[in-house]
Amino acid sequence: MRHDANFGRMRGRSGLRLAGAVALSALLAAAGPALAQQAPELDALVASGDLPPLEERLPANPLVLNADSIGTYGGTWHMGMRGGGDNGLIVKTVAYEGLVRFDQEWKTVVPNLAESWEANEDATEYTFHLRQGVKWSDGTPFTSADIEFAVEIYNDPDYPAGSWIDNVNNPVHLEVIDDYTFKFRFDQPNGMLMDEMASVNGIHITSLQKAYCSQFHPKYNENAAAEAEAKGFSSWALYLQDRCAWGWETIRFSNPDLPTLYAWVIDQPLSANASHVTWDRNPYYWKVDAEGNQLPYMDHLDMRVSESIEELTLLALNGEIDFQERHIATNTNKPLFYDGQEAGDYHLGEIIPSASNTLVLQLNFNHDDPVKRALYQDKNFRIGISEAIDREEIVDVVFTGQGEPFQVAPRPESPFYDEELAKQYTEFNPESAIEHLEAAGLTETNGDGVRLMSDGRPAKITVDVISSLRPEWIDILEIMQLQLSSVGIEIELNNIDRTLFYDKRPGNEFDAQVWAGDGGLEVVQEPRYYFPANDESVWAWRWAQWFNGTRPEIAEEPADWAKEQMELYKQIRSSSDPDQRADLMKQILAITKEQFPVIGVSLMPNGYSIIKNNLGNAPETMFNAWLFPTPSPMDPATWYFK
Amino acid sequence: MVQFVIRRFIAMVLTMFAISFVAFAIIQLPPGDYLTAYIAQLSATGEQVDPKVIENLRQQYGLGEPYLVQYWKWVSGIMVGNFGQSFEWKRPVSELIWGRLGNSILLEGIAVIAMWLIALPIGVYAAVRKYSLGDYLATVLGFIGLAVPNFFFALILMYLSFTWFGETIGGLYSPEFENARWSLAKLWDFLSNAWIPVLVLATAGTAELIRILRANLLDELKKPYVTTARAKGLPEWRVILKYPVRLALNPLVSTIGWLLPALVSGSVIVSVVMNLPTAGPMLLRSLTTQDMYLAGAIILLLSVLTVVGTLISDILLAWIDPRIRYGGK
Repeated sequence: MRHDANFGRMRGRSGLRLAGAVALSALLAAAGPALAQQAPELDALVASGDLPPLEERLPANPLVLNADSIGTYGGTWHMGMRGGGDNGLIVKTVAYEGLVRFDQEWKTVVPNLAESWEANEDATEYTFHLRQGVKWSDGTPFTSADIEFAVEIYNDPDYPAGSWIDNVNNPVHLEVIDDYTFKFRFDQPNGMLMDEMASVNGIHITSLQKAYCSQFHPKYNENAAAEAEAKGFSSWALYLQDRCAWGWETIRFSNPDLPTLYAWVIDQPLSANASHVTWDRNPYYWKVDAEGNQLPYMDHLDMRVSESIEELTLLALNGEIDFQERHIATNTNKPLFYDGQEAGDYHLGEIIPSASNTLVLQLNFNHDDPVKRALYQDKNFRIGISEAIDREEIVDVVFTGQGEPFQVAPRPESPFYDEELAKQYTEFNPESAIEHLEAAGLTETNGDGVRLMSDGRPAKITVDVISSLRPEWIDILEIMQLQLSSVGIEIELNNIDRTLFYDKRPGNEFDAQVWAGDGGLEVVQEPRYYFPANDESVWAWRWAQWFNGTRPEIAEEPADWAKEQMELYKQIRSSSDPDQRADLMKQILAITKEQFPVIGVSLMPNGYSIIKNNLGNAPETMFNAWLFPTPSPMDPATWYFK
Repeated sequence: MVQFVIRRFIAMVLTMFAISFVAFAIIQLPPGDYLTAYIAQLSATGEQVDPKVIENLRQQYGLGEPYLVQYWKWVSGIMVGNFGQSFEWKRPVSELIWGRLGNSILLEGIAVIAMWLIALPIGVYAAVRKYSLGDYLATVLGFIGLAVPNFFFALILMYLSFTWFGETIGGLYSPEFENARWSLAKLWDFLSNAWIPVLVLATAGTAELIRILRANLLDELKKPYVTTARAKGLPEWRVILKYPVRLALNPLVSTIGWLLPALVSGSVIVSVVMNLPTAGPMLLRSLTTQDMYLAGAIILLLSVLTVVGTLISDILLAWIDPRIRYGGK
């Protein structure tokens, strides 16, 4: 089946946009590229012969971005990034250029560098057709050879990098058909490939230019090892990594020579000592607006690198940031930014987070202690805890009334939203809580009023938390601590560092860990709390290992219901039909509802973005997630200064 | 004296070795290593990392080796000026730290000088004019300076400059000078930006110096040799500056060695808050990501500062206080 003509599934504006895009590019092709315009600053370069004329730089069929209005060229987009490897901001702003991408509503996968694609029935073969005539920022053509090189590098045992391309369980096998056509083949069905490729992870495959990067590989350059040594690197692989880091690696943005496919190219690179990272327009960018003008509209990006959140906050208040959400748009800062709108000449946009929950309490189902293991796996125990939490109080105290009691479930904006799943056991009901705890065998208490487990030890749960990541976690847990102690459950807070947090998992040295509720919108792609799916399914870490086969030495066979979910998920992977996949996911969620594996607190409240008032085409409302790397899907290339 | 300096120098080198060993051990103490931290980040973004890939990386980075082997590699590299690679930046550490250490030393050096220049006259005045209005004023201001945490003072200044002048304070240079070579214009730009962090860094120290100097000087002023000097008709300023102040400085001078590292560590939070490109934020960051060669190099160099500072204070002490002379000459 072909996906490129998949308009039936597309709804709303983006469907119209794409239809318009195809019609317009046909028109462009008919009328010839004479229609197209470029940024005035490039005119002189073309006139002097330093740059080929626009029609030689644009592909035959440029991607047309239909924004609300046609913009004007010029200006610098100011934003702020954290010091020390804030590669996330760069990735989410400029580096999201994969073969395909998500539409603005995060509903369907739409063409990007690939013009179209087909998949076979059992999702083991995908054929891609590249947009012809796309050029890297250094002017060399982007072809199947670059894809081939990327696949080769990812699979090179001397060059360790992990991604879906060299996924141990189901690696990509590539077959190049011609310069613009190639085929991915998989040993096992890979029905979710298109979603993966449209997510932020999709950029891995388009991040390595063969012409430039091959010079650091011994297969293409016999002196590669010696040259690496001369530069002070102990192996060619480290030198290659330094020059050609993949996808969204931090140091990828510290090499200004590296050719890219982004709308802007690096001028001042990211480094340990950089105080600004700056970008200039890419004269070879392959997207145009509805009138055929080459994008982007803005000449430059300027990212202020700052260790100081306070400084960034003040910059935004002072109107020195044009668009931003990351780092500064916190709950606590909201009143400040709200009040500063007039003085700073900006306004606040709406951000819908992808996370469903403010805090997910994950009890360790695979605990080494058999008594705790049995207790944590007892659904009555979890219901008891959940009903003993007064969520309204937490929402009022910690989130100033924003949000509502919520379990770990798809968000209301998601097509998978199920009110019963989202609301079960969220009612504050101490009597029922006590009944459930007693049903779980916690009938006796000690002198301190703490219930005793079957072997006579008090029911004390040590909860690992990283408060530096989200300070509100500690606030929530401290309230929960009081609430739970009134039903005889003791919670001990163990506030630790991120490395220790992760280090405890393989050793199975934890009672419980907390995190935010990822997977509220990207339900199929990030099912960590719905079944033991991946390394972030901390509540059943060893079951997840069994499912993934990554650490066989500590894997444990899951309970039957979890196995059933895993079976369903395998079917999702082997289906190339989105409707069928959605149907299967609903079956998984039904089991999640029945089993109630993790405990949530409240719906993650909406965030906000800071938008300068003179910024055109900027999104007033958008989703925010890592896999949907906002604001990039909202096409910053079409933003402009009025 | 020369003999003394040579002896101290040999002791210094040995101390440095001990420090490097301990520093490296401390960095290795937290569970996990750079790769654990790295994988934690990848994993949180939804990426699955194959344990075999991690094992390969661990080999590549030499993280799988025993402590002593890793330590030896590191230390033997340092002797030829190679501080190892920063994992996070994939760059030689020596390439990364000098600029930041330079900024640190410059900034904190100026802060120390500012501190002394402000504290000495005020301290002397406060002691000589004991219980006068000026003394009380200096005491009150001094206590406020001591009591307000530096980072908080920095925040207040940032807030005031924003609300009063609409200026965002941060960094040490204006954007146009950040990557420029040193010139008079850049120096001026630096000074016009640096006075705020210098002020912040110097306040607490100044207050402390004033108190110590005042107390020491009060002790000395009562001693008979001061009375004798006065009786012999020396002008008052000479009486005070030539003898009692010199003696009162003794404890201050002997702690110069501690001043440098205290300033550096004290400036970490201020640097983070004010976004100063000094070694502090880099150290903090490298410790959280367990970028151990980078962290190790910074800790080691800070220790060098301490040791050198101690040497300086010993020499100064011998110079200002004739009672302390080494080697009998």
